[in-house]
Amino acid sequence: MSPIDRLRADAADLLRQGRAKVVLGYRQRGGQCIPVAVTDPEAAGALAWDPACKQNLAAYLRKPEVRRLRPVALVARPAVMRSLVVLAAESQVRPEDVVVLAVGDDGEYHGVLDLAGTAALLKEKYADLGHDAAAMKRIEELAAMTPEERAAFWAAEFAKCTRCYACRAACPACYCERCIVERNQPQWISTAARSHGNYAWNVIRAFHLAGRCTECGACEAACPQGIPLMLLNVGLAADVERQFGAKAGYDAEAEPVIGSWNAEDPEEFIR
Amino acid sequence: MRLLEAKKLGDLAAALQAAGYRVIAPVEDGGVVRLREWQPGERIVTDAFAVNSAKDFLLPRSEAIARYRIEGNDFEAQDVPVEAPKTALLCVRPCDAASLAAMDTVFNWDYADEFYNARRAATTVITLGCTTADEHCFCTSAGGAPDATAGADAVLRPADGGTRLVLETFGEKGEALAAAAGALLAEGDAQIDPPAEVPARFDAAAVTAWLRENFESPLWQQVSLACLGCGACAYACPTCHCFDIQDEGNRKEAVRYRNWDTCGLTLFTAHAGGHNPRADQSARWRQRVMHKFAYFPERFGMLACTGCGRCGRLCPAGMAISETCAAIDREAKAAKR
Repeated sequence: MSPIDRLRADAADLLRQGRAKVVLGYRQRGGQCIPVAVTDPEAAGALAWDPACKQNLAAYLRKPEVRRLRPVALVARPAVMRSLVVLAAESQVRPEDVVVLAVGDDGEYHGVLDLAGTAALLKEKYADLGHDAAAMKRIEELAAMTPEERAAFWAAEFAKCTRCYACRAACPACYCERCIVERNQPQWISTAARSHGNYAWNVIRAFHLAGRCTECGACEAACPQGIPLMLLNVGLAADVERQFGAKAGYDAEAEPVIGSWNAEDPEEFIR
Repeated sequence: MRLLEAKKLGDLAAALQAAGYRVIAPVEDGGVVRLREWQPGERIVTDAFAVNSAKDFLLPRSEAIARYRIEGNDFEAQDVPVEAPKTALLCVRPCDAASLAAMDTVFNWDYADEFYNARRAATTVITLGCTTADEHCFCTSAGGAPDATAGADAVLRPADGGTRLVLETFGEKGEALAAAAGALLAEGDAQIDPPAEVPARFDAAAVTAWLRENFESPLWQQVSLACLGCGACAYACPTCHCFDIQDEGNRKEAVRYRNWDTCGLTLFTAHAGGHNPRADQSARWRQRVMHKFAYFPERFGMLACTGCGRCGRLCPAGMAISETCAAIDREAKAAKR
């Protein structure tokens, strides 16, 4: 059986056996890969997967309508598996509520796993996932700019932001019940889709994900305006790895990098 | 026929700029096609749909509508001048122009909105007829057509295999535009290219009728499960017009902003006391569909959807209002049997 047929058969079995009430996966529509929620085992044949499926289905786990359908099975590539480990580490999912249909970025299918099995697979097979090379190259180019040039680059990018918050909606790690951008007593961030508010929103979003982002790319893919959000996310993830030796989404017991302190932290920014 | 060589579209933009218009046109910008102020030399994109709609230039995503100062017990309100530069929306689509009927209506219904109306009066709409459509287009299901002229002051119809554009003008704004184009236009004959084929995806009247009876239906949960609750669809929509008023400032002075807002976001209906009458995303998605296909027709006799398909093209979750309407249409037909 081909990998996709095995995935479909497993999805149908999970539903039939009641091990999952819903399978979150992808289907093809035209040339597009879009999310689909399958609850009927007979409909599992519609599931598809290819590396162009950018959406991070772990984002659905915060939806009350989806939570009512626990246990939830979901098709997850390595970055999405890492999101699940982050959510487990942050007490956002219980191990018994999630079943993983694990796929590799190369089209491999690793079968049905629980969260512990997912973490083990990540460590065994995907421990050395690098940062996106094209993003790293662009980040280096930006780092070589003068502060004025860099500020102008980001000002032009953030000027496109309409504050639709598709980046936030697409991200599984953005699960705050009330996001800081929606807090108005006091108001921390200007809600007007203008320069300083847009700057603050995009930078705070990225910083809140530092050490938590698994570089899945869903936010950038979701942005209708084409803002290169991954330059912020990848840059911060690379900084976190360099400074603290930490990579998000491999250890469900790990203390969050930004929420913990260690005497060994390099603190290279304090001179 | 008044003809413009298709390769002279940039010259037309330049002529309009020289005549004092702010020219808004679809251009390549950071990997997407965007409607924004055209800069000399930029190619006007005629073979792809812009991510944003004409709305951006009539109802900006954020605008200051008032300022005030407070000194002790003194309160001073300051008017903010309306920014309404003379604008040409060049090569927007018939579905953009069609949205203006809904926008004009809603901004002059119980209150004449001076900000919107000033910009609307200063705007000339020049549509480019569609000879191609993609799988998201559904204008023909929303009362429109790829060669429709409603809402336009002028239309450019591709002709002779896209090498020429036939200009047709309506009213004074259209004539002023033709005058500004001047010698770029030549009298002549051309064979107008056939409009795009946009297959009907649903019967809007049947959808409206079903919606009146089905505020409660299990269908809402089914069709909204993929919705992640962002504003991408509403902010790209040419007719979505909801806004929020926010005062931003300090104890002495503040600016009152009007910002886009959308029923897709949780906060849209969240009450100060914590209750939210639209408790989940299915209730929010229902509101979006109801507003466009039930409430707006009921109140104003027209749909608040022109079938441009931007919502479906942009949705990060692969949702499309046309798919929901098609599902409703099927449901309505099944119920009749």
